[in-house]
Amino acid sequence: MSKNIGLIGRRNYLLKQNPRIEELKISFKIFFTNPTAVAGFVITLLYFIDIILVQFFPSFIGISDPNRYIYNFNNPVPLPPSSSHWCGTTAGGIDLCDAIIKSIRIDLIYSLFIVIVGAIIGLLLGLVSGYLGGIFDEILMRITDIFFSIPYLVLAIAILFVLGVSLENIAFSLIIVWWPLYARYARAQTLSIKQMTFIESAKASGTRDLMIMFKHIVPNVLPPIFVQISLDLGTVVGVFATLAFIGFSPTANIPELGYLTSLGLNYISIAPWSVIIPGLVITVFALAVNLMGDGLRDVIDPKRRSV
Amino acid sequence: MANVIIAAYNLKKYFPVGGFLFSSKQTIKAVDDVSIKIKENEVVGLVGETGCGKTTLGKLLIRLIEPTAGEIFFDVPEEIIVEYEEALKNKDTKKIEKISKRYSFLNKKGGELRRMRRYMNIVFQDPYSSLNPRMLVKDIIAEPIISTGYASKKEAEELVFKLLEEVGLTPEFAFRYPHELSGGQRQRVALARGISTLPKFLVLDEPTSALDVSIQAQILNLINEIRKKYSITILFISHNISVVHYMSDRIAVMYAGKIVEEGYKNSIIFDPKHPYSKALISSIPRPEPMREKIIINLQGEIPNLINPPKGCRFHPRCPVAFEECGWTADEVFQDIEYIIMRRYAEQFNGIKRIYIEDDFTISVEYEGKNLIEEKLKEVLNKEKQELRSLISIKNIKSESTKIKIELYKFVEPEMYKSKDGINVRCLLYREKK
Ligand SMILES: Nc1ncnc2c1ncn2[C@@H]1O[C@H](COP(=O)(O)OP(=O)(O)OP(=O)(O)O)[C@@H](O)[C@H]1O
Ligand code: SF4
Ligand SMILES: [Mg+2]
Repeated sequence: MSKNIGLIGRRNYLLKQNPRIEELKISFKIFFTNPTAVAGFVITLLYFIDIILVQFFPSFIGISDPNRYIYNFNNPVPLPPSSSHWCGTTAGGIDLCDAIIKSIRIDLIYSLFIVIVGAIIGLLLGLVSGYLGGIFDEILMRITDIFFSIPYLVLAIAILFVLGVSLENIAFSLIIVWWPLYARYARAQTLSIKQMTFIESAKASGTRDLMIMFKHIVPNVLPPIFVQISLDLGTVVGVFATLAFIGFSPTANIPELGYLTSLGLNYISIAPWSVIIPGLVITVFALAVNLMGDGLRDVIDPKRRSV
Repeated sequence: MANVIIAAYNLKKYFPVGGFLFSSKQTIKAVDDVSIKIKENEVVGLVGETGCGKTTLGKLLIRLIEPTAGEIFFDVPEEIIVEYEEALKNKDTKKIEKISKRYSFLNKKGGELRRMRRYMNIVFQDPYSSLNPRMLVKDIIAEPIISTGYASKKEAEELVFKLLEEVGLTPEFAFRYPHELSGGQRQRVALARGISTLPKFLVLDEPTSALDVSIQAQILNLINEIRKKYSITILFISHNISVVHYMSDRIAVMYAGKIVEEGYKNSIIFDPKHPYSKALISSIPRPEPMREKIIINLQGEIPNLINPPKGCRFHPRCPVAFEECGWTADEVFQDIEYIIMRRYAEQFNGIKRIYIEDDFTISVEYEGKNLIEEKLKEVLNKEKQELRSLISIKNIKSESTKIKIELYKFVEPEMYKSKDGINVRCLLYREKK
């Protein structure tokens, strides 16, 4: 008898499609009704397409060496945008369009790495601290307080002075200043979800704490953390480029937006485009991920989901 | 003899209140010295105003929260309970300890407790927050089965469909998320989850009060069917006494953390003993009045449970309260001050000071005219109807320039046996000596 019902159930399961896919469809529907979020998404997508092309098909977009800038010492003074150099050139005669297309990759990949690692560390600590409370929670909160009391750029620079100059160290220092943000956020989310009756329900059913954390709390904490990641990504790209700009990028010839911007600095009064254009590339990305993040916030809002 | 499913004695739950690390020692006495017994297959209804501690008591009984003090037995043979109560009455500590050690539910720990959870569960009031929004219905229903080790994951899958049918939902609901369901459907899912491990005892905490009236009846009937089919013992919590009357065999009335009356449902509904129950029950609309109906309105506020009223906790609102019901010098002082300083201020301008001498004495200092004592007596007598605390004044004496107002000592009511098998916590039912 019970077997039969099971079969019927499975048949219906096949008829109705996978409910998780249904959920995804709803998510897309909500997201695509928000035009600014879609614009943000499209722009973000373009940046990532850029990365893929530079990484895997550089010759396809006419890039001969994706790992270094191409100098033209015949014409070392920046030239304004023209038909041969659409974005103009910067110090050393580097073509800006070519340089920007190459540079985006480093900034984005490192920034993505920073927010994701920071979020994972923060999520785990915030989760345990919020769920267990007590002395562990107290200690973690005091540690994050210390981090928050120092301006993050100052802290990152201090760490870089100790570790020395390299792109890996910039990433490392930014992870160190960024995880407390996620720890706080994950903790706050955990505390509010811990209050919900379904957690009590799970306890009454004999569910272990570890299961409650990973089956009930994490799935509810993750979506807002994802939104937070997409909102943060823009800021992190900016900070990463800033650190490179002020000299924490190794002087080796690595295509990176902050370093590229700094090249134009000596000519800023006669060739403002050499600073403005790479700067704009960073700003537009920051804006785009932010708009996308706002759209994602709508997607995870349960009020928008229920019929 | 049948087993007693729940027998709880002198249960207390005090929640600490306030602040940070070094908080004050204040506590909310949400459940204070409650004893309750539920036999196999019985449905006991628990009624009372909001905030009186019903949910807290329900959670204590299945140890979803740990009691501050008290004893709980779960599913123990009746003769053991009889023996235990005997021992309690004779204050036979050795025997009490011996029985506790062997049978107490509070001694269960870790894996043993988790396995016992199979036999009990709770369904909460709000089906919108009691189901995890990110879990499929099938996983919600299967969770207790898997967590308590009642059946394997694979068997749980099959059971889910059987349970859905049991609560009147079609199999495709298994693959829905809670937000795709209506309130009634969600509560059906919560019920399916509640009975998924064939528990012996279920706490239903206002299972229908968040639902539309039209759906409430369906869910109540469903609960009745299920309980008969699987012989489940139930604690049915509600603030709606008609619903409790419909669902239960016995009723317990709770007020401010204490059970004030308990007995068979018809005895309580048709002839309540405790003044609070009388007020509650008089407010039910009935199609044909059995007798002259007097609606007793409950005046005053719900008492605060941090410093609950002394003596009988109902005394500030009780329409028939008398001298010993629990008035303290504080309460009487406030009323006397109101009379002397405000209401009749012009008549008492000779009075210099009013103060509390001790727990049962209030002093009034005055100068000049002796007539004040007579006047005070007269006014206090007149105001007794309005300011109920004044009935606790035992006598008023003059000492030179001072009037001493003495109060009756209050008595804390216990559970007294009344007729029709009702137990009632009201001094009116004390055995006369
Ligand atoms: N975890 C807690 N911490 C502190 N106080 C609590 C806690 N749980 C309940 N209380 C307090 O205990 C008292 C009793 O609460 P409880 O929820 O048991 O009442 P109730 O009778 O179920 O009320 P309602 O009809 O509103 O559900 C309330 O004053 C409440 O504020
Ligand atoms: S003991 Fe009885 S009469 Fe006195 S206040 Fe309480 S309920 Fe009223
Ligand atoms: Mg409640």
